Amino acid sequence: MDPIIQAFELVFTWQVLTTITAAALFGLLVGAVPGLTATMATALLVPLTFFMDPISAVGAMVTCAAMAIFAGDIPGALLRMPGTPASAAYTNEAYAMTRKGEAETALGACVLFSAIGGLFGTAVLIFAAPALAEFALNFSSQEYFWMAMLGLTCAAFIGAASPVKGMVSLLIGLLVATVGLKNASGVPRFTFGSTDLMAGIDFIPAMIGLFAVSEVMRTVAAGAPSWDNVQVRIGNIFRDWGGMVVRYWRQQVRGNVIGTAIGILPGAGADVAAYVSYAISRRLSKTPEKYGTGHVEGVIEATSSNNAALSSAWVPALVFGIPGDTITAIVIGVLYVKGLNPGPTLFLFNPQTIYAVFLIFILANLMMVPLGWVVIKLARGLLRTPRAILMPIILVFCIVGAFASNNATYGIIVMLAFGILGFFMEENDIPIAPCILGIVIGPILEHNFITTMIKSDGSLLTFVERPIAAVLAVGLALIWASVLYSSFRNRAAASA
Amino acid sequence: MRFSDTMLGTVLLLLGAAIAIYARTLPAVPGQQYGAAAFPTLIGQAMVGCALILFIKGWQAGSVPMIARTEWTRQPGALVAVAVTILCIVAYIFLARPIGFVPISVAILIVLFRVLSVSWPKTVFFAVVATLVTDYVFRSLLLVPLPFGIMPRLPW
Repeated sequence: MDPIIQAFELVFTWQVLTTITAAALFGLLVGAVPGLTATMATALLVPLTFFMDPISAVGAMVTCAAMAIFAGDIPGALLRMPGTPASAAYTNEAYAMTRKGEAETALGACVLFSAIGGLFGTAVLIFAAPALAEFALNFSSQEYFWMAMLGLTCAAFIGAASPVKGMVSLLIGLLVATVGLKNASGVPRFTFGSTDLMAGIDFIPAMIGLFAVSEVMRTVAAGAPSWDNVQVRIGNIFRDWGGMVVRYWRQQVRGNVIGTAIGILPGAGADVAAYVSYAISRRLSKTPEKYGTGHVEGVIEATSSNNAALSSAWVPALVFGIPGDTITAIVIGVLYVKGLNPGPTLFLFNPQTIYAVFLIFILANLMMVPLGWVVIKLARGLLRTPRAILMPIILVFCIVGAFASNNATYGIIVMLAFGILGFFMEENDIPIAPCILGIVIGPILEHNFITTMIKSDGSLLTFVERPIAAVLAVGLALIWASVLYSSFRNRAAASA
Repeated sequence: MRFSDTMLGTVLLLLGAAIAIYARTLPAVPGQQYGAAAFPTLIGQAMVGCALILFIKGWQAGSVPMIARTEWTRQPGALVAVAVTILCIVAYIFLARPIGFVPISVAILIVLFRVLSVSWPKTVFFAVVATLVTDYVFRSLLLVPLPFGIMPRLPW
């Protein structure tokens, strides 16, 4: 019981509560602005977390991400522009509801089921993570190698429109991760005589570049057109909550379960979960013909799913140190900075910290309802803020944030390089998420591979000799086989 | 700027080959089969593999221009706007230390606001206010050593 009481003491201080409230508002604002994603909100928050104590830092990121994923639904419903990619799956549906004059039902459903989904994912996190951590204590480098491989596979192939381009993005990330001295043999690689590069490419400026600077460039290129004005009046969003919960409890539970399952997979996150859930909802619905015409059923299932995935993505992140999605990839970096090295031992040595994180998850999802209501009320004014003013200010934030990560100009150079890279990748339909996961998972993969090889004297068979490792290897082989099979089937269908 | 599959494949092929060749120069760990070179070699080879797949795709797609201009580049001023954004960051990298954060930030904001045709009064107002708020938050609250340059320290 003791660690739980300690966790309450850690969380319920004015400092932590103020920080997470501020982070919640920041997340809601960033998420509600189309083009600024939840990942970007988290990335922009990182430079600020350097100056916080560990619980505030982690709490700020948890709250900010949860709010941003929900807030992405608001411009989706009002303007048909998803605020974050995780809302894209059901943007058309929600917008169709708005046009039918049901904006408050759509947004009400988004708030309610986002919060419930988040709480469900949190419950799974609370119960599954410690049990898995106990299991993971048996893991050795072989098992971690396979976990990292699983993460990379999901990152490259799940939800990618073109597997080759996903793979290219992943390889870019892995290449970036090899730069510097941080490898098992301590050999400088790709440093070209630069002392800055010896330390490797700093992850945070790279992240800010890929997600924020590239978006600024894209918007500036388009001349930062302002959004269409929101003409709808939004009534009482709490209307019909009871009715929806009773009528659509099946969809809600299914969305929660599928979202949680996808979130737990290393490498696949909220956006994939929303797409999968929306598709499943449509397939299993009694009235599939209503989908796309402004039917709340699919919205409920998908919005339950993306917030559930967001919480459960923390399971692999905390237990194995392997990110569940791009947001937890950033969080893992911050955990290391804060001395909370993710992995099963975190549960042994710092249980109060883990419980504090769980508590913050619950708080964040409860806060979502009142704060979400406020932001929906403010949405019309918010969406009137011209992007022409927003984007240059974001660029200055990016520069200062990239500088603050190491207090060195080198960070800004990295940010610029990755901003241009991200811009180019987006132009060529190369997804960015696999690259980020490659940067984070690459060193884990290499470290565990080399360690295993040193232990086994270079015998590759050791990777399948331990039972858990063998099971993971078979699972991975099945995923690869199914990807190959479906791409062949698609090709056959395309040529037929 | 959009590369065709063949063009993207060519870039990847060259990059992958360069990485694999570079990796051969990395020293091996005595008595170990896999050392610092193992991963870069693998990445290089995988890039070459992706390049080959892209070549096949490009060949199937038939003749498309190697480098196509995307829709947005045809809009007047779009390329200039992107170039100006990049130049602003470059300018910050070189000038922040000699000039200081406040002047360079105001200058960058004024340039970008004007590129996006924000009216002059708004430009000046938002450039100054956003800079001072950022300076206050990062320098005074978060203790980030933003360069002073020629600027005297502000009263916070």
